[in-house]
Amino acid sequence: MAKLDNKKLMVCCANGAGSSLMMKMTLEKVLNKHKVKPATVHHCAISEGKSAAPGFDVVLCARNFAKMFADAEKKGTTVIALKNIMSPAEMEKAMMEKGLLG
Amino acid sequence: MANILEKIVEKGHFKFVDEVPSWQEGVRLSTEPLIKTGYVTENYYQQIVDCIEKYGPYVVFEHEVAMPHTTENADGVLNTGVSFMRIKKPVSFGCDEDGNDKSARLFFTLAAQNPEEHMSNIQSLIGVFTNEPLLDALIEAESGQDILDALAANPCTEF
Repeated sequence: MAKLDNKKLMVCCANGAGSSLMMKMTLEKVLNKHKVKPATVHHCAISEGKSAAPGFDVVLCARNFAKMFADAEKKGTTVIALKNIMSPAEMEKAMMEKGLLG
Repeated sequence: MANILEKIVEKGHFKFVDEVPSWQEGVRLSTEPLIKTGYVTENYYQQIVDCIEKYGPYVVFEHEVAMPHTTENADGVLNTGVSFMRIKKPVSFGCDEDGNDKSARLFFTLAAQNPEEHMSNIQSLIGVFTNEPLLDALIEAESGQDILDALAANPCTEF
């Protein structure tokens, strides 16, 4: 079973309406490639995401938002922060480095 | 499904300028085609500016593409659509966390009211944003027809 199967994933941006949707599409591409089936892939605004993050296994965001998830990270959430949110290659690499894929 | 660029041209949601004095003014100008067609109100741009000032230039992506936007159903949003604006001289939005300048020449400004239609716009936009030859051609565009020609010469594949 893949490591991310049945895990809870969250994608977050400032508004939950633009870049987080794009990032969710990038994530789905990576998950499909690796045939991973998480329990949920939630996308939301940073205002919701910041408090909800500890309830998720993995949070993905653009790099400028990474520091907002420092608390969640301490509580065990894995934070994946990307420079280019539309790059499946960068996302895949970052997830492999954190031991989430492969 | 029509490509977002075809929708932009069909609705007349495009604009070409040489330069702007600031990114804030760029954001305001990029909403003008949406104001003219009743998609957003005149003060909508201010919310986008406030958001970028609060969170930084995260709306500027690779290849000098900016996607100014706020939340779904923000104040001043009356319909769902995207406007395109090309600026000849890149405008800086400031620096990212590594101190790298984030400048843009292509603005794709979002108005989101209907979630399904917005999602389909975003899906189409990601195909445009990851199509480098198309972005290069759009930088040279001067008319609606140029936008359509750029797309015809550089078709988008599904992301």
